[in-house]
Amino acid sequence: MKPLDPVIDNDLKAIDSALRDGRVTATDQDARELQELALLLESDAERPDPAFAGELDRRVQHGFPRERKRRVRLPRLRVTRLGAASGVAVAAVLAGLVVVSLDSGDDETTSALRTGGGGAESAPRALQAPDGAAGKSIGIVPPEPLRGGGNFVPGNRERHIERSASLTLAAPGDELDRVADRIAVVTDRYGGFVLSSQVTSGEDGASGGTFELRIPASRLQPALRDLAALGDVRSRSQSGEDVTREVVTAADRLQAARAERKSLLRRLENATTDTEAEALRRRLDLNAMEIRGLRSQLRDLGLRTNYAAVSLSLVEDGESEGSVGGGSGTLDDAVDDALDSLVGSLGIVLRVLGIAVPLGLLATVAWASARVLRRRRREAALS
Amino acid sequence: MDPSRERNESVNEAIADRMPPLADDVRAGESFASLYERSFPKVYAYVASLLRDRAAAEDVAAQAFERAYRKRRGYKPSKGSPEAWIFGIARNAALDELRRRKRRAVLETDPEDPAAPAPDEHADFLLRREVVRAALGQLSGQERDLVSLKFAGGLSNAEIAEVLGLSESNAGTRLHRTITKLRKACHEAA
Repeated sequence: MKPLDPVIDNDLKAIDSALRDGRVTATDQDARELQELALLLESDAERPDPAFAGELDRRVQHGFPRERKRRVRLPRLRVTRLGAASGVAVAAVLAGLVVVSLDSGDDETTSALRTGGGGAESAPRALQAPDGAAGKSIGIVPPEPLRGGGNFVPGNRERHIERSASLTLAAPGDELDRVADRIAVVTDRYGGFVLSSQVTSGEDGASGGTFELRIPASRLQPALRDLAALGDVRSRSQSGEDVTREVVTAADRLQAARAERKSLLRRLENATTDTEAEALRRRLDLNAMEIRGLRSQLRDLGLRTNYAAVSLSLVEDGESEGSVGGGSGTLDDAVDDALDSLVGSLGIVLRVLGIAVPLGLLATVAWASARVLRRRRREAALS
Repeated sequence: MDPSRERNESVNEAIADRMPPLADDVRAGESFASLYERSFPKVYAYVASLLRDRAAAEDVAAQAFERAYRKRRGYKPSKGSPEAWIFGIARNAALDELRRRKRRAVLETDPEDPAAPAPDEHADFLLRREVVRAALGQLSGQERDLVSLKFAGGLSNAEIAEVLGLSESNAGTRLHRTITKLRKACHEAA
């Protein structure tokens, strides 16, 4: 501590001495004046009124009993409402944080689930969804293709959609043969057929298989659901293409070709010269070829729209102890789930802290500023 | 016997055993009652000196002790003596009152002085007191605050430093400067 100037120190000691002794004690003239001034100032101090002192004594004795104040309900109501509104706002923020956290924490699952709405906008995400989420979106109605393309046929209510799907399943090496058999069984159950298949198993090289399936388009979804249940779904996609324009065009051309054939036959009956008859026969041959081609095209289109093309790949799952059905239950799965939950929880905590810490800092700064401001205002009262 | 001392002793006897200690470790369990008994006249004198309004001084003094009573558990001995603590509360209450009023009221009446000098000395005493009061009127608010804390409140220089948030040497220097100014003003007034 910085020492006082000796002169100041002596003067203050002289003052304190006079206040302590209640009389002037100094011999020095300056010090005597200071002591006299100090005693005058002390004697001029106000003394409390006895009635007031008695009343305050009584209040102190009773521990400053609080006076009953008439309750004003409106302000309390306002405070309550304000508190409730604040609580709702905080809850909404927290709920938003949780939703955001869940969204970002499990994007694959969420995107697959969203496709359940079947909306045109969400459909592409579903089709591209890689699948850690086995079977969760298998019940999705395949999307209608966008109708702004060249296949748009106004006024045709019966749409002809060519559907296709691809599926990659994983199964333990010792389960591959059984799963391959089950694929054929499921396909047959839904009235489909295996167009081609190739299964490789054994200790050398990679094991697995590929299957080209045709499944009635009307039963595609349940069939895919059952197929997905045969193993862990590693990937899945579906697509649809509107071929209504091709169908309508081919049908129209076939109708025209048939009408032309009738006309040619009538003209052939009425032909008067061999040259004319020969020319009409050549045209009939060409017409017949056209009709065959169109019939074939229509049959092909019918096959493509009535049966969905499903490309299924079967791969070997490295973990032979894993259950085929994609279920959980092993210790590793439990540990993975626990870690995922922990990471998710930490994410939520970090987000909450991300809001709470700046708010806390702001509140601290505001509190300190208010304190300084209040102190300055008080001091200003002395100016 | 000094009437105020007599009153304080009776109050102390009546309530000492009912008042909880200020804080767990302050002066071996000193009660609020003993602090009140010790500091009430000085706190009132300080507030009255600052406000220069008897009625307002009574309100503010009562308010200050009530605030102190409600906050007694929050008293921290490490931050200063109990006297400095109660004077800090009283000072804040008085400054708030000053802010509210936005004016300085004069004392309605001269206080009745129970320790008045003998009649032959009375005229001289009154004259000197008026000179000092006139000189006090030339001080700034902060300077009057210092003088009030020292002579009406009876605080030591260290306690004044605690109340004002200053170092003890700084408080002493300011106090000396203020008294010197007051002394000079008294000479000029005389």
